[in-house]
Amino acid sequence: MKTLSFLFQTAAENFWREKWINALTVLTIAVGLFIISTFALIILNVDVTLKQWSKGFGLVVYLNDSLTAEEEGIIKKYLKQDTDILEINYISKDQALKELKQSLGAMNPVLEGFEENPLPASFELKLKREALEPFLIKKKVGQIKQITGVADVQYGEKWLSSLNSLSEGMKIIGIILGSIIFVAITFVTYSTIKILFYRRAEEIETLKLLGASRGFIRLPFLIAGLFIGILSGIMVLFTLLSLYAFTTSRITELIPAVKAFTTFFPPETYPLLPLGGAAISLIGSIFAIGRIRY
Amino acid sequence: MIQFSDVSKYFDNESALTDINLSVEKGELVYITGPSGAGKTTLLRLIYRAERPDAGSVVVGGMDVGKLKQGEIPSLRRNTGIVFQDFRLLTNKTVFENVALALRIHGIHPKEIKERVNEVFGDIGLKHKMHEFPQHLSGGEQQMVAIARAIVSKPTVLLADEPTGNLDPDTATIILKLFKEININGTTVVIATHHEALFKGTGRRVVYLKEGRIQKESIA
Repeated sequence: MKTLSFLFQTAAENFWREKWINALTVLTIAVGLFIISTFALIILNVDVTLKQWSKGFGLVVYLNDSLTAEEEGIIKKYLKQDTDILEINYISKDQALKELKQSLGAMNPVLEGFEENPLPASFELKLKREALEPFLIKKKVGQIKQITGVADVQYGEKWLSSLNSLSEGMKIIGIILGSIIFVAITFVTYSTIKILFYRRAEEIETLKLLGASRGFIRLPFLIAGLFIGILSGIMVLFTLLSLYAFTTSRITELIPAVKAFTTFFPPETYPLLPLGGAAISLIGSIFAIGRIRY
Repeated sequence: MIQFSDVSKYFDNESALTDINLSVEKGELVYITGPSGAGKTTLLRLIYRAERPDAGSVVVGGMDVGKLKQGEIPSLRRNTGIVFQDFRLLTNKTVFENVALALRIHGIHPKEIKERVNEVFGDIGLKHKMHEFPQHLSGGEQQMVAIARAIVSKPTVLLADEPTGNLDPDTATIILKLFKEININGTTVVIATHHEALFKGTGRRVVYLKEGRIQKESIA
């Protein structure tokens, strides 16, 4: 334990002694981590937007004009059995006309040409978030269309599939980008630790001659790698928090509604950045000292 | 304690040591002498496995050091105090820390390290300078610190390569006195030197090397 604290102290001293190389490494790694975490934050926000949007997403089931109230009730009962459906709203023909007139505003005289109400009665269905996968919706629409008395089913097919594709695409890009940056960070730490090792070659040779074990010599380098990763992670966390606060405050000043669609990582995940940085950096350090002959 | 059997060592096909047969008993103090390039340093380096013999074997404390695995070398060196010709003091650490380092490598408790380092600095008369950096000390003082580092862990074998190098006679006498005291306490001591004055009249065994071969052995 005492030896370990000495090795931590040695690592801290060495870290300070080579502060410029270390600072440069911390900055380089921070840039990489910043890109990864910014991307993760964008994906998170797209997901939140999708969730928010999905709250208002629905299917509109148009009914045949000839249906009686009883027949409409049977269809409603059938739909209620579907666990993917959160809410069912019945829109009568009259209500549909009223809403259309409201939305047309000054243009509503165009409807005066109709002798009868041309709009069908309908059910508006709100679905669970998990059910909003394009292929699931398509399947469900097919099933509902089979019900006797249903004239048509409509939904924002293109929007749904575009937003889902965007979310999926960003996740794939995120994974590819994350992997590339992971390798880059590992390599940066690998190179730095190797340089630090060679810069202390004479000191290390003396330690070896005095009988220092491999662990005694190598541990300070691993600790240095940890320091580098943790510092980079902390730096990115604060930069990201500040940038997020600044950007959202500016945007919400202009468009207040945006606030409902933006979010930051939950506080319990904050340690993940320094820990992630430390883990990646540690891997680089292990590779670096593993390739150096004792 | 130390046994050289038919040991030869070559560097770039040039012979550094040839057919060395030498035995150093436990608790003995032996001088290795000879002109520059005779092979004195190489002989010491073979003992602490900084070199491997190209032929023959070097056995230290029952271990064939030439056959040691990488992971076993630190243990051999921890039991061997070495005074290097070029001191090998770490310039970024105080001389106290330099000496303490030998004990830290042994995993000794900081409290004991402090006591033992203080004691050894008292022995070499440099207590007043123990918080200085090596580069601020004279050559003789640096040599003393190097010796302090070699003896502080109470090794079973002490190897000294030209320990009195360019020192004045008074400092050389103090250093020799130190080696004798360590030897009296049971440590096997091997001193490589080309200064005949250092061992003359000591009554100790002297091994003469010339061109990598043992030329003769005698009692000084």
